Amino acid sequence: MTEVEKKLIKKVILQIKDSVTSDIRIMEICGTHTHQIARFGIRKLLTSKIHFVSGPGCPVCVTERGYIDALITLLEQNNVTVATFGDLLRVQGTCGSLEEQKSLGKKVLTVYSPEDVLSLAQDYNDKSIVFAAVGFETTAPLYAALIKTASMLKIKNLFFLTSLKRMEPAIRFVLGNAKANIDGILCPGHVAAITGIKPFLPITTEYHIPAVICGFDEMDLVTSINVLCKQIAGETPVQLINTYKRCVSDTGNEAALSLMNEVFKISEVSWRGIGKIKDSAMILNGNYEAFDACKKFGIEVKSNPHPFPHECECGKVMIGEKTPDMCKNFGCQCTPEHPLGPCMTSSEGACSAYYKYGGSEFGSKNYASTR
Amino acid sequence: MDQKITLRHGDGGLHTNRLIRDIFYKHFKNEILSGYQDSAIFTMEKGRLAFTTDSFVVKPIFFPGGDIGKLAVCGTVNDLAAAGALPLYISTGFVIEEGFEIEKLDAIAASMSRVCKLVGAKIVAGDTKVVEKGLVDGVYINTSGIGRVHEHFHPRPISSGDEIILTGSLAEHGTTILLKRYALGLKGDFISDCNPLSQIITALGDSMKHIKLMRDPTRGGVATALCEISESHHIGAIIEEDKLQIRPAVNSVHEILGTDPLYFASEGRMILVAKKGYGIEIVNILKRLENCCNCDVIGVFNNTYNKICIRTSLGGERIVSMLENQMISRIC
Repeated sequence: MTEVEKKLIKKVILQIKDSVTSDIRIMEICGTHTHQIARFGIRKLLTSKIHFVSGPGCPVCVTERGYIDALITLLEQNNVTVATFGDLLRVQGTCGSLEEQKSLGKKVLTVYSPEDVLSLAQDYNDKSIVFAAVGFETTAPLYAALIKTASMLKIKNLFFLTSLKRMEPAIRFVLGNAKANIDGILCPGHVAAITGIKPFLPITTEYHIPAVICGFDEMDLVTSINVLCKQIAGETPVQLINTYKRCVSDTGNEAALSLMNEVFKISEVSWRGIGKIKDSAMILNGNYEAFDACKKFGIEVKSNPHPFPHECECGKVMIGEKTPDMCKNFGCQCTPEHPLGPCMTSSEGACSAYYKYGGSEFGSKNYASTR
Repeated sequence: MDQKITLRHGDGGLHTNRLIRDIFYKHFKNEILSGYQDSAIFTMEKGRLAFTTDSFVVKPIFFPGGDIGKLAVCGTVNDLAAAGALPLYISTGFVIEEGFEIEKLDAIAASMSRVCKLVGAKIVAGDTKVVEKGLVDGVYINTSGIGRVHEHFHPRPISSGDEIILTGSLAEHGTTILLKRYALGLKGDFISDCNPLSQIITALGDSMKHIKLMRDPTRGGVATALCEISESHHIGAIIEEDKLQIRPAVNSVHEILGTDPLYFASEGRMILVAKKGYGIEIVNILKRLENCCNCDVIGVFNNTYNKICIRTSLGGERIVSMLENQMISRIC
């Protein structure tokens, strides 16, 4: 960062302090925003009157235990290899994680991009590769492109267990929860880069809550927080502002949207710790059913009605009702080494950020030092 | 000569003898090793000795900037350097997979020999085992080393105000290995920093008396090494983010993967803790060395902190915790 940028950011921070005269609650829907704010040490530079709460925007955190169970069930079948991004490995299902299955000798492979999966399927054409396709609108176009390519190449041994979620229904769910009590929302710039601004418009037009589409560097974050604070203070009208115009157009990435529409259809899905949300899933449509692991192997992803182990409160953390340090397990029973809930398990999770960066950054006890 | 290692190369007979003669003796030749004895016999100098051992199982075996052999000797040389010692004698043990190419073994031994010559150390004892295909991944190497500790180096408790020096940029080795291991296909200027660091001891000379502690930030990277120092000395520190050098290509990889370079290994960097007020003097000496030209004071131990904290470029602060789990790829 240049000295000019640093000076500018410091100036913006002073403006934020001027705008905020009483306690306000800002939700970062996206886990990456949570982590970036902590990593840049932004909280400490702002006024303590700004309270950040997390939202349901970490794909790993909102993945049902039943989804992990289904992947583990697949591993029981002969000749099935499960491919996944690394951050899904440690997420607990009802009876353990993929990481534990791997240590038992089951075929679980970590990939670094969806394209790796195609190579895997071609390299191991005598095996069935099931890809754990988890994510939001950010990754869904990549999966759609992959599925379409696999279809064109007539690849017969690659299947997808999808858990793809849509942001707009989740935002409506959170804003419908009175306990969340949110004054402003930082909207995820990478989702908006695909979807455009439309899914985020209801925040201001229907719920009349200040909102800003925000990127991920220091300047993006302080600028967006400033825009929100001015709206909250009544200095500017409540309206959705896009401060990430270098990546986000009003209409989004039309090629990516078209690809998603070609491969997926909208459905209902259960969000971990939250429950079922109507129209919040993207599942394979009829044209691409041959790639659906559920149909191929006759399995089902069951939503698990039981509460989180040891009364973990990740569900309430993800809808802004509680902060991680309000959970009695946080930092003692629940740590990144022994996570009870997904928000501690995922590197993007709110509890993980609180624990990792802890202390003065979150205005709370230094949990990391109590290990 | 055979082209590949077979089980007979490990049976102790003629073929083992030829392998040792044609590969290891050829590269490691010195008056102590050449005695065909079960143990190396040598006379030790007066003073304090440092003794260390480590095993190397890196994948891939050959990587930009080095190979498992260079890594094995550098690892031991640098462990000795962190104890303030110049290396004297090294032993090495090879566990080789049946089918391993002898040409590769030759290249690895040549690498080990080059580092030894550079630092003035001798490989004086060795062992070779060959195991069935599939039991090891190519070749594993153990090295142990004995070195003489510099007369002015005396590790001492760290106090508030003592300065933290890092001899170069972060995470070059760990990132290079990551890219090669997983064939991520990212193009850029990636090369391991794997290099011996014993020249630090020689260059500092009398100034070693101002050094309280040294640590090479290998597995777990700079973050874990600093956290370990902080915990064992019961003192926190503040690190300046702007002083931490991460090459743009390396930084980009970690931004893409969502990993933190602070936790990735360096194999040619050293963390030094200098007595309060001596940081710049030490840095100025080290900057003259080839592998330390980007050396800088990156932070200061401070009693007001109970952990390692980073002051960010913006002036904010955040805690640096020890690495709890393996760094992994993320979804978004």
